[in-house]
Amino acid sequence: MMKDIVKLGLVLAAFAAAACVGLAFVNLATEAQIAVNAEKQLNESLSGLFSEAERFEDLSAELKSPDDGVKFEAAYLALRAGAPLGLAVKASGQSYGGPTTVLVGVGLDRKIVGVRVLDGKDTPGLGANAMNPTFFVDKSKKTTFPGQFAGKALSDPFEVKNDVIAITASTITSKAITKMIKVAADAGAVRLEASAQATQAPATGGM
Amino acid sequence: MKRLWKIFKQGIINENPLLMLMIGLCSALAVTTSVSNGVGMGLAMTFVLLFSEIIISLFRKVIPSSARMPIFIIVIAAFTTIIDLVMKAYFPELSKSMGVFIPLIVVNCIIMGRVEAFASKEKVVDCVADALGMGLGYTWVLVGIAALRELLGNGTLAGVQVMPASFQPILFFILPPGGFLVFALFISLNIWLKGRMQKAEAKSAAKAEEVAA
Amino acid sequence: MTKIFIIALLINNVVLMRFLALCSYVGMTSDVGQSIGMGFAVTFVTVLATAATWPLYHFVLAPLGLGFLQILVFILVIASLVQLVEFYLKKNVPGLYAAMGIYLPLITTNCAILAVTFENISNKYSFIESIVYAVGASLGYLLAMVLLAGVRERIKNSPVPGFLKGTPILFAATSLIAIAFMGFSGLVK
Repeated sequence: MMKDIVKLGLVLAAFAAAACVGLAFVNLATEAQIAVNAEKQLNESLSGLFSEAERFEDLSAELKSPDDGVKFEAAYLALRAGAPLGLAVKASGQSYGGPTTVLVGVGLDRKIVGVRVLDGKDTPGLGANAMNPTFFVDKSKKTTFPGQFAGKALSDPFEVKNDVIAITASTITSKAITKMIKVAADAGAVRLEASAQATQAPATGGM
Repeated sequence: MKRLWKIFKQGIINENPLLMLMIGLCSALAVTTSVSNGVGMGLAMTFVLLFSEIIISLFRKVIPSSARMPIFIIVIAAFTTIIDLVMKAYFPELSKSMGVFIPLIVVNCIIMGRVEAFASKEKVVDCVADALGMGLGYTWVLVGIAALRELLGNGTLAGVQVMPASFQPILFFILPPGGFLVFALFISLNIWLKGRMQKAEAKSAAKAEEVAA
Repeated sequence: MTKIFIIALLINNVVLMRFLALCSYVGMTSDVGQSIGMGFAVTFVTVLATAATWPLYHFVLAPLGLGFLQILVFILVIASLVQLVEFYLKKNVPGLYAAMGIYLPLITTNCAILAVTFENISNKYSFIESIVYAVGASLGYLLAMVLLAGVRERIKNSPVPGFLKGTPILFAATSLIAIAFMGFSGLVK
């Protein structure tokens, strides 16, 4: 009886160990590529927002969300020749089907440069259209849902069905994403002005 | 060879895991909003099924029967993790659109069922035939459902616009209720196909008997 | 918190909107009593599994960089949990075991439980939020089970069109229930 239990245990342990070792190898082989994918997606989105930027400074540790419903995951300051061009904030929050992540860029003129919906779990055919590059909320101008925010001033009301066009039959998704964009852009604009002043101060002081 | 062909053929219609055995349904309905998802899910699941069956069949003589369930789970979970990591690394878009349903291959009853009923008893070559047959049976249904839902619900096939621009997509088919309805029709279709095939077989058997007589 | 609960229970119902746990949905709803037993057994195990896997991931797997073992570890935890619950009930609460026992072995491969534990991690829920999500999702499962079981009792005595006889009619009926559930989508803003 005892012998049987030991034998069973050994066989089980052997299978579990073999599985873990095998997975460790596969993980080692794919880990780098997965990290590269995530970085590539972020870089493409960042340089898509600020095509003129030469480099991005990571400010993720400095920016905290003022709103409980929206989390700031990262923030990047776009720089050209040492001077700030704009700030991108990666924010996530609850949408209709689960957490959604957006990347919001603000410029020095307190206008939104652009918005990318990076990740979401909404219903295909409805809320997921926020991520669909061929779904147009304004068919005549061919603007996508995140696309309509480009160039929008932060002083606008940001109200769905008022100045923001909703995705058909997905008002909840539209409202949730609009709120995330507004919160992220407001915080981003404040932080951006601070860095703009910091870089300008020594320059004017020298003259 | 003929025997292998027979095993392979079983999974496609007669014992189709989705339409006849009614197992592994979750992923079949959840990911079939587009053809590319259907193909991806079908191949991922076939991969896990094939390798799990091979490994279990190879070790079938050393696996003690009282510990077989946990061992099956370990093997299936290992291959599921492999396909999950590989897809994340090389097909990030596809992996994202299928989300939690890739890790859920581990509890896909088709795999557990085939490993328990087939691989733990049969030779490796037979298992390869069985896994490929079942995998193909699963994949064709997935792609079929996905094609119908994507075409009617979005006007596209594998992301390419096929319907004329004037076609107003019938959103219903992409939404969950549409998935259930399309699936009901597919089961119905399969029952009809099976009935016809059996009738044809009976007829040819009767003919053969006549000739022999 | 209530938002997570309502979304998990009605708006994103595990069975009707997310297509999870369909095997037992079709297999275990031939009568109402059975569907209730299965529903409560799943609720019980889901909450227990969440309470076990959440700390395991955040205090063991993630700090050690072993996130890739998540699938393997979670399914083994659920499988052994089901075994333990079975032993415990058999010995100490025979009444409950008699009611729930037969469903327990089927629960290991119930994908709703595993999906809930994965989503608690990927949605970055806190421990309390995870438990709320687990309760909401599994009660949603119970609700869907009871609804279909009720419909099936009616179907038994109804004339069904020939081509829908058997399982197809179950999915056609489910399609209608799902349409009704889509009406809940405005419940949370």
